[in-house]
Parts: sequence; C-alpha cells; structure tokens
Amino acid sequence: MSETTPVTRKAKRPATTGPRGVRWLLDAGFKYWALAPALAILALLTLYPAVQLIRMSFSSVGYAGGHIAWSPVGLANFTQILGDATAMVAFRNTLVFVAITVACETLLGLALALAVSESRRLSGFYRTVLMLPVLIPPIGIGAMWLMMYDFNYGFIDKVLSALHLTPQPWLATTRLAFPSILVVDIWHWTSFLFLIILAGLESLPQDINEAAQIDGASHFQRLWHVTLPLLRPTITVAAMLRTIFAFKIFDEIYLLTNGGPGDSTQVITPYIQQVFFIQGRMGYAAALAVVTALLITIFVIVYQRVDAALSGQG
Amino acid sequence: MNQNHRTQAGPRFRRWGIALLLTAAVCGVASAQSQPPITILINTSPWLPSFKSLVSQYEKETGNKVNLNVVPFAAMIQKSLNAVSSKTSEYDILNLNEQWYSQFYSGGLVTPIKDIDPSYTLPKQVIEYAYADRWDPKVGASTKNGEVYGFPINGNIQLLFYRKDLFAKHNLQPPKTWADVEKDAKILNDPPNVYGFVTRTSPPNYNFQAWLHSYGGTIISLDQSTGTWSVNIDNAAAHQALDEWLKLTWSYSPPNYANMGQSDEISLMASGHLAMFIVASAAESNFTNPNTSSVVGKIGAAVTPGPTADARAPTSGIWVMGIPHNLPKAKQLAAAKFLEWAMTKPAELAYAKAGGVPVRQDVYEELAKDPKYGWWMQAVADSTPYIKAQVRIKETPQILSVIDRVLGQAVIKKMTADQALKQAATEIHQIMVKGGYKVAPLSSQ
Repeated sequence: MSETTPVTRKAKRPATTGPRGVRWLLDAGFKYWALAPALAILALLTLYPAVQLIRMSFSSVGYAGGHIAWSPVGLANFTQILGDATAMVAFRNTLVFVAITVACETLLGLALALAVSESRRLSGFYRTVLMLPVLIPPIGIGAMWLMMYDFNYGFIDKVLSALHLTPQPWLATTRLAFPSILVVDIWHWTSFLFLIILAGLESLPQDINEAAQIDGASHFQRLWHVTLPLLRPTITVAAMLRTIFAFKIFDEIYLLTNGGPGDSTQVITPYIQQVFFIQGRMGYAAALAVVTALLITIFVIVYQRVDAALSGQG
Repeated sequence: MNQNHRTQAGPRFRRWGIALLLTAAVCGVASAQSQPPITILINTSPWLPSFKSLVSQYEKETGNKVNLNVVPFAAMIQKSLNAVSSKTSEYDILNLNEQWYSQFYSGGLVTPIKDIDPSYTLPKQVIEYAYADRWDPKVGASTKNGEVYGFPINGNIQLLFYRKDLFAKHNLQPPKTWADVEKDAKILNDPPNVYGFVTRTSPPNYNFQAWLHSYGGTIISLDQSTGTWSVNIDNAAAHQALDEWLKLTWSYSPPNYANMGQSDEISLMASGHLAMFIVASAAESNFTNPNTSSVVGKIGAAVTPGPTADARAPTSGIWVMGIPHNLPKAKQLAAAKFLEWAMTKPAELAYAKAGGVPVRQDVYEELAKDPKYGWWMQAVADSTPYIKAQVRIKETPQILSVIDRVLGQAVIKKMTADQALKQAATEIHQIMVKGGYKVAPLSSQ
C-alpha cells in the first residue's frame, strides 16, 4: 500500500542539475525561450513594419539621387491632415460608410442566420447560396456591379426602362453614388456576418431554450431573452471584425466611382494609395494610415467596452 | 640553341597571337550584336499587342531575348517604384506614364541615356512631345536643354474622333473651333440614341487641358530667364477654358456625365451612341475591330479644336520607357540597345502597322497615305505642330490631383468655375512653395 502513488498528485519532474542560472533557464525559463522564435517572427512581421510606418509618419520621405531619403518633420504631416479638404471628406465618408454598412450587415446577417437555423428543409442550399457573395473577390464584385449600374447598358436601368420607369445614373450623381456603393457592400459582406452568427447560433446550448419553452416562453421571448443574450459575444466579435474590414474598403469604390462624382464617395484607403503611390508623398500617406489605424483602434475599444458593459462586467 | 628556340617559339607565339586576336574579334562582334536578356515592365493597354509584335521583331532580327512582365495599369507605378527602390531592379526597362515620369527623372531613379551609351543621339524624326524625353535637373523640369532620360514609346496625343457618317448625313465638316463643336453637337444630339459630345470627367484633368492650352492657358509656367514659376490656373484663359468645357459637359452628354471615364466614352462611341469626343490617339484601335465596334469604317479623326482654327492644342499623354538606375552596366546597355532599335524607322513602321502608336513624324507622314492607317494618322501628323505638354515637374501628380478634385466639384456644381480655379491656384501655389520652387505670388495675393 505504501508503494502506491496517488493518481491526483502531479508527478514531480527531476530537478535539473547545474548552476542556478542554467537551472532556471531549463526549468522555469523554458516557457520564455520556447516562445522566443515565435515572438521574434511576430516582431519581424508585425512590429517592425508598424514601427517603420509610425517613423515614416513623422518624416518627409522621397526619392533623391536614386535612393529613398528620410528627413524628420515632427508633427507636420499630422497637422497637414487638418488642412487637407480631401482627407477630411474621406474620413467623414469612411465613418458614415462603416456605421451604415456594419449596422445593416449585422442586422441582416442575424436575421438570415436565425431564419436558416430554423429552416428544416433546404438548409444546406440556403447556406451555400448565402455564402456565395463573400467567396467572390472584391474586384470581381466591383466589376459585376459596375456593369449592372451602367447607365447606358446596365441591367438595372434596363429593368427600370422595361417597367416604364426613368433610368438613373446610379454612380454619377452625388445623390445616388454613395447609396449605390452601400448597396454593393451590404450585398457583398452580409454573408460574412451571416456565416459567423450562424456558427455561433448552432453552438448555443439548446437546453436553456428548451427549458424556456417548457416554462411557456413565446418564440419572440425566447429569442429576446435567451438566444440574443447568449449570442451577444459572437455578434460583437463579428461586427468588430467587419468594422475593421469596412474601414479598409478599397476595390469596390476604386472600380465603381474612384471617389467621384466630385469627392462624394471618396474614402480613406484609396486616398492613402493615391497619396503614397501616385503623388509620392510617403510621409503624409503614412500619417493618414496611422490616423486610420487609431480610429479603428478606438472602434475596437468601444466594442469591447460595450460588450463588457452589456455582460455586466463593465 | 637560343637561335633554334627562337625560331621554334616564334611561329608558336604567332599562332597563339593570331588565335587570341581572332577570339577577341569574334567576342567583339558578338558583344555588339548579342545582348543579355532583358525584362520590360509594361501595362495592359490597347497598344500592348503591337508592342509584343515589336519585341518579337527585335528578337527575330537580333537573337536577343526580351521578356515582358505585363501588369494592370493600376499596378504599374507601385511595381515601378518597388523596382527602383530595391538593391537591383528586377526590370531592365520601365514603361512610364506622362503623369508619373517626372518622379523617376527627378529622383534619379532612371539613368540618363548618355551615361549608358554616350555616342547615341535621338533621331531627328522622333517626336519629343514637348521634351517629355528630357529632364533638366537645374530647373527641375522637362525642357529643351535637358538630357534624354527616356525614350518615347507610345505617341499618344489627343485627337477629336467623330462619326463621319453622321457628319456627312447632316452635311457637316469636322469641327475646327469650340463654337463648331457646339453647333455640330446641337445638331447631332438625339438622346438616348446619339449624344452630341462628351467630356471625360473621371478623372478630368487630361481632357480639360485640351481646352486650357487652346485658350493659351497653362496650369503653371516657367520663366527660364529668371527661373521663376507662375501659377496660371486662375487667369482669364483658364476661366474661358473651364466655362467652355463645363458648357459642353453639361449640354450634350448622357445623364451620367459626372462619372464619365475614358472607357465609358469609348464604349459610347464604339456602340454608335456618340457623335464626337476628344480622347488619346491610342483609342483608335477600339473603332476598327468589328468584334468591339459597331461603327467600323464610320469614324474619322481630326486635330482637336480651339477657340480659333489656328489655336489648337492637342495635349500629349505619352508613355516613355526609362532604364532603372539600379542595374548592372551590361543590362543597362542591353536595354538601351533595344530602345535605340525601337526608334529606327523600320521598327516604328512595323510597330505602327501592328496597331501601335508610333513616335516618328516620317512614319506618320508615310502611313497617312495608306487608308488603313491614314484615317487617324493624318490627324496626328497634322497635330504635331500644335502639341502641348502637361505639367512636368516632380510634383505633377499632386498638382493634377488638385485639378481633378476642383474640376470634379465644378462638374457636380458643388463649386462655381471661379471658386474651383481660385481654389486650385491657391493649393498649387502652396505645393510649389513647399517644393522649394521660386514662385511668383498669385495675382490675387
């Protein structure tokens, strides 16, 4: 009996022999140096470019004598943003774009996920069809909708004409261009929200819902008081990811309007691309990118705070 | 013994000497003709097939290998800048747009041709498009006194394309003045079947410059005697030009006039829904292919109009090919040899016949007599004396983005023409001052 080792007790690792520092490295310090290669790669791939971007945003960077020349300019690039009418319009349009698309896509994604999860028949078919838009590259989406919106040959205006309605220049008036782009984005990205929310919905424990049903809760009461609170973390993460992507919209706007007519659909990422590559103002473009990253960070923090507050931790 | 040694060694040395001389001679001939393989970065465009044909011809004639790296237009500048920023460029020749090349010339990112092949001079028949091939570092602009930094490879200039059949039906002549354009557009305008005239508004700067230059205006100008730059975009000529351009934009275009790109204009014309428009000469290939055009044989080309028949101003929108600074000498020389060959008359003739836009005056004049090419090449030959340059300083893209923005605002009536030009002048003046140029104060200051 005395020879039996209790199974719940941790087996003690033989202590490493040798000097104290070496022992620490091999025992307690093992976790640190085991992580070191991964951290080094992460630093190289993430931290270094980020630091360079920030450094660039405080510099004037240009080509001279066949080389890239950097010279520090302090906060000049950042103060210049305030006087740049296009940048201000681009930031404003981006914020409006993010707010509208993320709200609409989240609500539609949630509605579709609820509908498909309750669908008994053709559930697989609905999943496949609703997933399709997110599988198409944004450049393809842009090209497809560009043809559909075309005033002279587009499908949408042909349908309107057939219905004896007036064809519209969808992408060529300040009144219609921005809403037309919102429609494309919502069509494209709702399926992303749908997929994530559906996955969350299907992983919810069914017993709580069943208990509520036994207690006499209606369908709406179960949705409002059981399903949605349980689904909240999933919805928050999905909306947060979509917000990050929406800030960086490029392909669709680049193809559909290129920021026009005038600057009515100008958003920040295509503007940064233009400033960086076409205008060659790399320092200023870096400052615009840093400000954009800060805005995204603020949104992410807000999401986390709201989520914490709703879950009673805030 | 010594004598014997000398007599035996003499012929042996002579034989070795002759063999070495022969080897050296053969190697010398080979180096003049055979060059290391080169790679050209080029964009997709209507003239790419003709450039491919030019390359094939060069390979056949010389046995030298040329690789093409073809990328979409939008990726060109990024790829080009990446190439010249690396230790060694992966491309031996870069295709540079007129609106970008100044960045490459001014930054020393491409090498002057005299540093590669000092004995070469550009043939006199090569059109220099108001010296787009040259760069003068002293003034920081393309001028007559500059060194050759790039070879013009696509001689795009603006032309007026019009429907010959519609003009004949209404007994009209190709317009020579803006008043003619307006009169003819009014007659031919029959929406939605045919629109009288469209302007390019997305982006608008290149199109607008045909009006601006024809009224004697410029965005900026340099007084070479004092080295002082002036910002002229808010002067009387610019106001007249913008008023006329906006009037034509609003009056005879389809309702989507505010977002009219070059491809939109071309498809309107190719599908028979447009009476006339101004576009770069390379667009001609869109109207001759029955697979893409319903108006084959019905399109004519003419010199761009002006306020009077003598004040025309087709603006150049050419492509030049430059040789990156970060290449081994042998590669630079191989690239130069290809481009020098491409400037010869036989090569240019073959290029033009394959559908390219040549850069030699004698080729235009010769092919103008051939009905297959003459329908548009005669117009180019006639345009040569009038060609005007775009802005050609390091800050060109920044200045043109200001022009694009304010014109866009004027088109959608968010700004009046006066406000747009005043705003443009203020911003361009700031850009010039910040760029370190000696700039005259604005007239309004």
